[in-house]
Amino acid sequence: MKNITLFCAAGMSTSLLITKMERAAREKNIEVSLNAFPQAEMERHLDNVDAVLLGPQIRYVLPKAERLCGKKGIPVDVISPADYGMMDGEKVLEQALELIDKNKK
Amino acid sequence: MNKSMNKLEDKLMPIANAISQNRYLVAIRDGFMTATPLLIIGAMFLLFSNFPIKGYSEFMTKVFGENWSIFFDRPFETTMAIMTIFVVLGISYNLAKHYELDGLSTAVIALVSFLVLTPFVTDFTPEGSKEIFKVGNVIPIEWMGSKGLFVGIITAILSTEIVRFVVKKGWVIRMPEGVPPSVSKSFSALIPAIITILLFDVVRLLFSITPFETIHNFIFKILQAPLTNLGGTLGATLLANLLIGLLWSFGIHGRSIVGAIMDPIWLALSAENLAAYQAGKSLPHIITGQFQEIYLQLGGTGSTLALCIALILVCKSKRCKQIGKLSIVPGLFNINEPVVFGLPIVLNPIMLIPYIATPLVLCVISYFAISVGFVPRPNGILVPWTTPPVIGGFLMAGVRGSLLQIVELVVSFFIYLPFVKAVDKQYVKEEQLDA
Repeated sequence: MKNITLFCAAGMSTSLLITKMERAAREKNIEVSLNAFPQAEMERHLDNVDAVLLGPQIRYVLPKAERLCGKKGIPVDVISPADYGMMDGEKVLEQALELIDKNKK
Repeated sequence: MNKSMNKLEDKLMPIANAISQNRYLVAIRDGFMTATPLLIIGAMFLLFSNFPIKGYSEFMTKVFGENWSIFFDRPFETTMAIMTIFVVLGISYNLAKHYELDGLSTAVIALVSFLVLTPFVTDFTPEGSKEIFKVGNVIPIEWMGSKGLFVGIITAILSTEIVRFVVKKGWVIRMPEGVPPSVSKSFSALIPAIITILLFDVVRLLFSITPFETIHNFIFKILQAPLTNLGGTLGATLLANLLIGLLWSFGIHGRSIVGAIMDPIWLALSAENLAAYQAGKSLPHIITGQFQEIYLQLGGTGSTLALCIALILVCKSKRCKQIGKLSIVPGLFNINEPVVFGLPIVLNPIMLIPYIATPLVLCVISYFAISVGFVPRPNGILVPWTTPPVIGGFLMAGVRGSLLQIVELVVSFFIYLPFVKAVDKQYVKEEQLDA
């Protein structure tokens, strides 16, 4: 089971995206656990997480995210504005899965 | 067009980065985020003691007796009215975590420091008398609420910095090997605590010999009151919205960044209106945090709800219709990342004009509607920013607040209309070429 956590300013728009990602995961028969939180709470939501994605509008949080996640060996990336705008669950899910794979190597 | 966008981006990005990375502004922002849910709840309860429907309070008195409103006032009194306590805890906790210090003990030290600065005395004037008595053995609520905000913020940051300095220098009592970790932890907080509290006590002493008597008086009169009043002016609000819009133009969360500086001011403005509302006095401010979030962010920053409606009703291209359908439901709750990134509005010069202009126009309209008295001033209740339009306005200012929002919807629709039509035309052409 892969644990993927998304962060944005209030955890609201990312929670929208998550429902689409869950649908995409079901269609591809991949087991994922998806969560969305406000970036202010990042520190307490990093346990057992395999990948962290940031909403593009908070990409300025990337340094802090890389520091916090780097300590736990969690890969971080920013979601592209286009995928985020279209709430493309499939593309963002792929992005997360690729992050996890690259990190394993 | 692209050249000037890039030049603007080059100038803005460093500022945005500086503000968003600055650890104090981050701690303030995150600290407020921790405290705000409490404040929203407390303020909401006040809605029940002051429901804007005729006959409500007479009904409640009949059913529950004279003191019925105490039940709803208590949650307000223990949250909003003493908000600085939670803000101090929140800011120092977040800053401590940033420095990898123990969050809880550092936050407690910050709270103690704040209390040290506040003499446990309050003024009391008995009924019918003109004499002011000084009552001791009380914690003055006056300085625990929004009036103490700036002192609280400064105290939280300073005390955390002092603790960090002391810990870095290694001035801690080290316990021998065999002592259990929880015991050694409580001892290691001792020296930083003693030094911090001593320093704040000295500050208090110094201020007590000045004509201001307390640092609270000094900061409030010299800094907080002028800044709050400045922040509540039409000019400041227009400037803030211009900056928010510009930042979002590059896909950066403008409200978060500008909020790092404006949130304490917007909160103080709301709190002052709320206190007056509760006391039945006239409301001092036209602009509050909710004026910004509920009247100007109709559907999200840039007031995009009307845009979503236009996308569905007026547009012919597949792309516009799709984005419209995708963004209308979140838009009702003032979440608009889908349309901002999807249309896109970000980095799209055609859409940026209405996106930045609409809140400015709505700001002027709302300000004048309130200042001439058509719409009551915002009651200061911390209506959450996700409250749908019409409902949000009602909670803030009764039926006229809702009407104002409907007027805003119509105005923003007509501002967006020509621009979204132009974008739609473009997309229709592209789709025909693809087909």
